[in-house]
Amino acid sequence: MTTGIDEAVWGAPVPSIAALERELARLRRAAGAHAKEQSHSVARATVLNLVVYADRDTHALRAARATMRLSNRHPSRAIIVYGDREREGADVAVQLHCHAPRPEESSQVYYEQILARVRGDADDRVASVVIPLLVPDLPVFLWWTGTPPEEARRFDDLLAIADRFIVDSSDFARPDRTLPVIAALAATQRGRRFGVTDLNWTRLTPWRELVAGFFDVEAWRPCLDEIVGVRVGFGVDMDGRDIHPSQALLLVGWLASRLRWRSKGSLAPSEAGGLLFEMARRDGARVDIRIRPRFERGIEPGDTSGIRLQARHAGSLFEFVLKRAPDPHHVTAAVVVDGATRSIRVVPLPSAGIEDLLREELAIVGNDHVFEEALHALVTLA
Amino acid sequence: MPKPATLVLFGGSGDLTRRKLLPALYNLALQRLLPASFAVVGAARSAQSDDAFRRELHDAVAEFSRTKPINEEVWGAFARNVRFVATPDDAGYDALRAALDRVDVEAGTNGNRLFYLATPPQAYAPIVRAIGKHELRGPGWSRVVVEKPFGRDLATAMELTGVVHEVFREDEVFRIDHYLGKETVQNILVLRFANGIFEPIWNRQYVDHVQITVAESLGVEERADYYEHAGAMRDIVQNHLLQLMALVGMEPPAAFDDRAVRDEKVKVLRALRPISDREVGARTVRGQYGRGYIEGKAVPAYREEKGVAADSQTESFVALRCFIDNWRWEGVPFYIRTGKRLPKRATEIAIRFRIAPHRIFTKDASEGLEANELVLRIQPDEGISLTFGAKVPVQGLRIRTVNMDFVYGASFMVDAPDAYETLILDALRGDATLFTRRDEVEQQWQFVDPILGAWSRGVPALATYNAGSWGPTEADTLIERDDRAWRRP
Repeated sequence: MTTGIDEAVWGAPVPSIAALERELARLRRAAGAHAKEQSHSVARATVLNLVVYADRDTHALRAARATMRLSNRHPSRAIIVYGDREREGADVAVQLHCHAPRPEESSQVYYEQILARVRGDADDRVASVVIPLLVPDLPVFLWWTGTPPEEARRFDDLLAIADRFIVDSSDFARPDRTLPVIAALAATQRGRRFGVTDLNWTRLTPWRELVAGFFDVEAWRPCLDEIVGVRVGFGVDMDGRDIHPSQALLLVGWLASRLRWRSKGSLAPSEAGGLLFEMARRDGARVDIRIRPRFERGIEPGDTSGIRLQARHAGSLFEFVLKRAPDPHHVTAAVVVDGATRSIRVVPLPSAGIEDLLREELAIVGNDHVFEEALHALVTLA
Repeated sequence: MPKPATLVLFGGSGDLTRRKLLPALYNLALQRLLPASFAVVGAARSAQSDDAFRRELHDAVAEFSRTKPINEEVWGAFARNVRFVATPDDAGYDALRAALDRVDVEAGTNGNRLFYLATPPQAYAPIVRAIGKHELRGPGWSRVVVEKPFGRDLATAMELTGVVHEVFREDEVFRIDHYLGKETVQNILVLRFANGIFEPIWNRQYVDHVQITVAESLGVEERADYYEHAGAMRDIVQNHLLQLMALVGMEPPAAFDDRAVRDEKVKVLRALRPISDREVGARTVRGQYGRGYIEGKAVPAYREEKGVAADSQTESFVALRCFIDNWRWEGVPFYIRTGKRLPKRATEIAIRFRIAPHRIFTKDASEGLEANELVLRIQPDEGISLTFGAKVPVQGLRIRTVNMDFVYGASFMVDAPDAYETLILDALRGDATLFTRRDEVEQQWQFVDPILGAWSRGVPALATYNAGSWGPTEADTLIERDDRAWRRP
């Protein structure tokens, strides 16, 4: 499917932006008329512009499906830019398609999906297609699928119109290279217009809540300042080839930024794609960090499989353990003191499909300072 | 329903006639809104037969009408009363008078005549004088519609009014500003004065500032001859933008009639704070587009357009910081801008209100919250939207600006009539509410002339912007100095 566009998904091609707006107005009216017959009404309750950039048609389709399912919570105008780089050097061409729920789909909420397929060497003109399509007054979320380029006009131009910038570091080909770029973006943009987020960070939310939850117990809170070891496991495929440690690294970055740990020495690779390194606590004492890939059925490559924090406090070894048990959809949280289990509870993990993650992120307009600090701490490790 | 009349169309089959006037007349016929007896007499310098003229108009309607395909029955009946007379000289005008007298009898138009000047502006004065000299006014009423531009400065506008007044009284003069014929422009008055909730907050106590944008994505296209001498200031600001500003800023008129509405508009125009030579650098920006991209296509710079001088100083972009010095608006800036080759075609008026006086929500919760804004979208996608803060449906409190949107087409399920349909019908009825009166035009020039004067001396310098951008950075600076920003229409 490198040359054809599935019109069942994207709608028929339209020749210009004016024609596209006319077509959308026609669809809106049809939906309105149909709804009146059924004596209910259709709201054009668009709350945001979602601009998606995809280099691959599978990413474009995934984005289309996600935005459609999101329409109940976040009815949007989704503008999906599919940069068909395979045709680089060919004549530049922009092809527009639009889609809205059909009247018989009887959706009460109206959403609009636009595909702009940009072929050939069109780096500097992508923005000129997107800007006129934006709905005025509404925030612009830019979701960049795949690895953001380090130097590309299309990237800079789209960032310039974004209020919020969403990436998924699990898609990054080389997270060690790209995460610092994202961190730099977040740093230079701080206080300016757009907030940066990483869906991998959103995946960590339940884990972070569970970690923090341990230390709501007053007796264990002092352990926070006496941590000596951190172990994080992340999922990997059966052959151990697909190594995506960025989520695990973000978790360590979060701990380091919250507890004000400093980096000490650089990242050292350990067995089977893992990482082994040291950090320094606020009081200068050493924290051993070990990140390692684990193959477990039901865990996506890169997703956190478990966390173990070790602390020496009052002459005892405290271990705070989170692991996916009894199955990958639950986490068992246990506190173990000198080998004896003191507390144990099981909580369900919320599902983390791409639209679940987006649903969370699209609710936030401002900057996520905690994420930015975690990212910054992570980058100082490398 | 207007009374029977003859429309005398000077500038026979020019661009305006083909693109706007005839399609408008045809659509009026289609809606059965034309007088029972109605004739069109075209007049231009070069001769052609009635039939050739009809054919030409037929093709124009087929191409440009907002309703398609053309209804041949309706067109056929309409075209029976279409004539053409060549007016290259005095003899031509005498022939025109004879033709008009004949049409009165044949079509039963009662000697009522609407003269429409759809010619290049330099022909206005000679034609009006010819109308007088050859006694083309009929035994019924006579009115004249004058297209823009009405003069190129205060002196020429007054001179033209002088010439027109040799033949027509001011209440017979209909100066067209087609923006005023747009449904959504008229709706400004309806929104303000038919509703009880807006007017009480329509003032300096509640309004932080107003932004008016007239953006076009087109370049100069085929109009370089005209545009090189006009520029965005004369083409858009002097008429459309200042009229929009007057409608937003005016006091409630006592009645919705031509006198009361225009009296109030002219008061606003008189209260416009002049932009002095000293301030012209800080309160005005003029720009010209360079190369860039529109909708993904590469477009040339203004100076590379056909018919444009390679060193042209003509502005294709204007931004102004204006004030209306009266009780209602003292201290409220009106930022207005217009340009060609901007990213999209959009005309809108945004009323930005002040923020809530006391914030009870935390900064984190209200990070996505902005001041309320009422936006009147004139084109495209005509409608009105109001933004306000709403709670995001999650646990805990998070506030986000949302949009309450009224879309014309979706509510009324009909296409809005074209501005020219409205205006021609009003002129036939003799209702001048939506036309510009002499004193308005003169006030508009009075405001614009000093700015153009300073610009011609190079102050401020002509800025450039990439086609497909929202104008030069100088325009951003103009508004950012006040700690505000342009909207993204």
